[in-house]
Amino acid sequence: MRHPDFLWRNPSPKSAYDVVIVGGGGHGLATAYYLARNHGITNVAILEKGWLAGGNMARNTTIIRSNYLWDESAAIYEHSLKLWEGLSAELDYDLMFSQRGVLNLAHNLPDVREGRRRASANQQNGIDAEWLDADEVKKFCPILNTSPHVRYPVLGATLQRRAGIAKHDHVAWGYARAADALGVDLIQGCEVTGFEIDGGRVTAVRTSQGRIAAGTVALAAAGHTSVLADKAGIRLPLQSHPLQALVSELLDPVLDCVVMSGAVHVYVSQAHKGELVMGAGIDAYNSYGQRGSFNVIERQMGAALELFPIFSRVRVVRTWAGIVDVAPDASPIIGPTPVEGLYINAGWGTGGFKATPGSGWVYADTIANQRAHPLAEPFSLDRFTTGALIDEHGAAAVAH
Amino acid sequence: MTPEPHDVAVVGAGPAGLGAAAEAAGAGLDVVLIDAGQRPGGQYWRHAEGGRGQHWKAYEGLSRRLGQVRRIPGTQVWLITRDQEGFTLRLTGHDPVTARAVILCPGGYDRQLPIPGWDLPGVMAAGGVQALLKEHGTAPGRRAVVAGTGPFLLPVAVALARAGVAVAAVAEANPVTGWLRDPFGALAAPSKSVEAVRYAAAMTARRVLYRTRTVITEIVGDGRAEAVRLRRADGTQEEIAADLVALGWGFTPSLELPIMLGAETRLDEDGSLVAVVDGSQRSTADGVYIAGEATGVGGAALALAEGRLAALTLAGSGKTARLRRAVRRGRRFAAAMRRACPVPAEWTAWLTESTVVCRCEEVPYGELRRACHDLGADDARAVKMLARPGMGWCQGRMCGFATAAIAARLNGRVATADDLRAFAARVPAFPVALEDLAEN
Ligand SMILES: Cc1cc2nc3c(=O)[nH]c(=O)nc-3n(C[C@H](O)[C@H](O)[C@H](O)COP(=O)(O)OP(=O)(O)OC[C@H]3O[C@@H](n4cnc5c(N)ncnc54)[C@H](O)[C@@H]3O)c2cc1C
Ligand SMILES: Cc1cc2nc3c(=O)[nH]c(=O)nc-3n(C[C@H](O)[C@H](O)[C@H](O)COP(=O)(O)OP(=O)(O)OC[C@H]3O[C@@H](n4cnc5c(N)ncnc54)[C@H](O)[C@@H]3O)c2cc1C
Repeated sequence: MRHPDFLWRNPSPKSAYDVVIVGGGGHGLATAYYLARNHGITNVAILEKGWLAGGNMARNTTIIRSNYLWDESAAIYEHSLKLWEGLSAELDYDLMFSQRGVLNLAHNLPDVREGRRRASANQQNGIDAEWLDADEVKKFCPILNTSPHVRYPVLGATLQRRAGIAKHDHVAWGYARAADALGVDLIQGCEVTGFEIDGGRVTAVRTSQGRIAAGTVALAAAGHTSVLADKAGIRLPLQSHPLQALVSELLDPVLDCVVMSGAVHVYVSQAHKGELVMGAGIDAYNSYGQRGSFNVIERQMGAALELFPIFSRVRVVRTWAGIVDVAPDASPIIGPTPVEGLYINAGWGTGGFKATPGSGWVYADTIANQRAHPLAEPFSLDRFTTGALIDEHGAAAVAH
Repeated sequence: MTPEPHDVAVVGAGPAGLGAAAEAAGAGLDVVLIDAGQRPGGQYWRHAEGGRGQHWKAYEGLSRRLGQVRRIPGTQVWLITRDQEGFTLRLTGHDPVTARAVILCPGGYDRQLPIPGWDLPGVMAAGGVQALLKEHGTAPGRRAVVAGTGPFLLPVAVALARAGVAVAAVAEANPVTGWLRDPFGALAAPSKSVEAVRYAAAMTARRVLYRTRTVITEIVGDGRAEAVRLRRADGTQEEIAADLVALGWGFTPSLELPIMLGAETRLDEDGSLVAVVDGSQRSTADGVYIAGEATGVGGAALALAEGRLAALTLAGSGKTARLRRAVRRGRRFAAAMRRACPVPAEWTAWLTESTVVCRCEEVPYGELRRACHDLGADDARAVKMLARPGMGWCQGRMCGFATAAIAARLNGRVATADDLRAFAARVPAFPVALEDLAEN
């Protein structure tokens, strides 16, 4: 599909806005769109230091699902998934959202127990989830090697049929065009370098294009959020990790679902044109270098080929890495900060693409009403002082 | 147990790599020489089994000096990483190799310009034609036009003529005086100018029409190349029938490995991105030496000298003064040649909306224009994101230079090093099978 002729204007920044959003990735764009559409707040600018959606939005492997373990997570991701289901129509843009089903493989007995537990927790939350035994997995995804004689035998899997993938650049452009049409200024090449804070309240941002006054400042800078928050005097409990992925040459259609394996730390899908997209788990060390250590991906692909021996001759044309920001409990942070008028949306780690519509929705509501949206409440910054953590680590080691 | 790392790994066995390996071995270093080809020689000494190439004595001399060198032919280095010990090189179909230092001699490949009709069957890169002739002795056509710019058009035309192809014309975009009769250059690299004169003589003998200041603006044909359109500096145009069109617009250095290791790059006189080296072939990355075409296009003699110099520098030899002087002279000549043979500034004006720029992703010029004019892309990176050139199989090896130039031109400027860098970094260096990538 070709994108429409006109996507967005390229305005120069005004000297003041009601709301300034820092970061033009998926979350920033969605937030601006819902601010305008749901709340009628249109005197809004997105300030993006590079290109719209050139950060992790451009690097992610686009898995969308909502079968998270805890109620709080399931609620916000399911809200997001419901929005995905109507989004192409709403934005009048083909996002190539394909609900092809996501399998989460279980390779040992604890995996099986955990998978069954998650499937039933999901069902109780009204989220579609099924438990498949090994034979059913084979039927659902015939190219998967379900032989018991491998390092990671497939003992079963959870399946969410409504889960799937979308095309990330279309998502960004769809939101950008719609936000622009509602009057939001999308400003590229504008880096936020600091904040002006007066009597505990943020009043302006300093940028590479000068000072811009703001009633409210909303951070949506993903991996760079800690650095930014630091400039406002806020220490965030986020750690940055490289996350790697790779893409293959084009193949005929062979894989019509997404397969993930927590134990193997790998996931595979076949994207719309026919390329395989594979992702690895998170690298253990902290780093801002854009290339993850290669041993990680080597090891994980070794295990992946046992699951998909037919891919061994497929050629990889590119590998890359993005830096993801992860909170101690592997859950996001959305809501107000100790600085009045300054809001934060970060810590989406390895799984924020799927959250794009839901996160934008609740973040916009939070900003518009100056209090946390009910779905965002459990994800407040002060949970790290109260101790009410939402530990999604166990739910899936690859939490995409 | 992991084996001891080699003292040095030389990547590429063209003139530069052979020179480096021979000299490093001569200095007593433990050398491993890795090359994608089954036989050493690179672009220059490419030949059929048992055949002989130009300056064969030099080749045989070098080959004799490789006795102590561990050779790994027929494999590509697709990743180099740095660790405490030095470097780990990952190879296709072969165990990884470790070394304390690397001399990268990966050469270059044909620079491609998308002009209308360049994707028709019968149109080939000049280097590709040359390789076919050298390796298989086959000519992929009967009546040829060789077009583009630079001294490498000549050997291709002569080789085609020798293979029995009627060479209808050689169209050189620039005036030739710069490199053919540059007295400085002649002094600096005698063998080079001698070669050029020899080729010129051979062409005269075969009555090849040699046009200077003449550009090829289009290739026409119904389903395959049938004719080319040439335009001379005075504006006159002509159409010449041909079923084989060899296009040579200079070379693009292979920079995947240098960039992977963090070596800096710069813009060369001919608009190519090249690796930065000092007068002793040290790159800006510790322990990484670079020689040959990757540091700037300059012909086989210079590549050989640079390779030798890199090895001697690494070995800590005190006897490099003469070689350094020779390299300096050679680079001066090469720079003059590159300055004299720029890609014609107006080439993007020949493009039509439907001219395919990126073949892998099938992106036509019109899409690039829209990315810049309608979507506001103002550099190559943005164009790549919005229109996807360079995102397919070749990862911009073919279309990177052209896309960078087009993106710059559409924004009213000339391509910068940054525009080119948007397409130059590639991991892995080549497409690699998952089973090679995976640890087993
Ligand atoms: C390899 C990889 C695979 C992934 N796979 C998945 C997946 O399958 N499913 C899934 O749900 N998620 C996945 N993710 C995670 C997902 O990409 C992120 O969680 C999500 O994209 C983050 O939100 P964003 O789109 O707003 O971030 P980004 O696109 O990174 O946006 C943040 C923006 O802020 C800008 N910015 C930063 N600092 C400043 C500043 N000072 N001034 C102005 N602008 C600034 C940046 O330039 C950037 O454009 C993956 C991530 C990676 C790296
Ligand atoms: C058509 C044509 C005509 C020419 N005519 C002349 C002439 O008349 N006179 C003259 O002086 N010069 C001529 N040249 C130029 C000459 O061939 C080059 O200057 C010379 O070969 C450069 O030497 P090099 O060692 O830098 O690179 P190359 O000869 O290109 O060698 C590089 C080698 O590295 C290998 N390699 C690259 N990357 C990897 C990797 N990742 N893993 C493993 N192996 C790798 C390649 O396979 C290749 O074998 C001509 C070139 C062409 C194409």
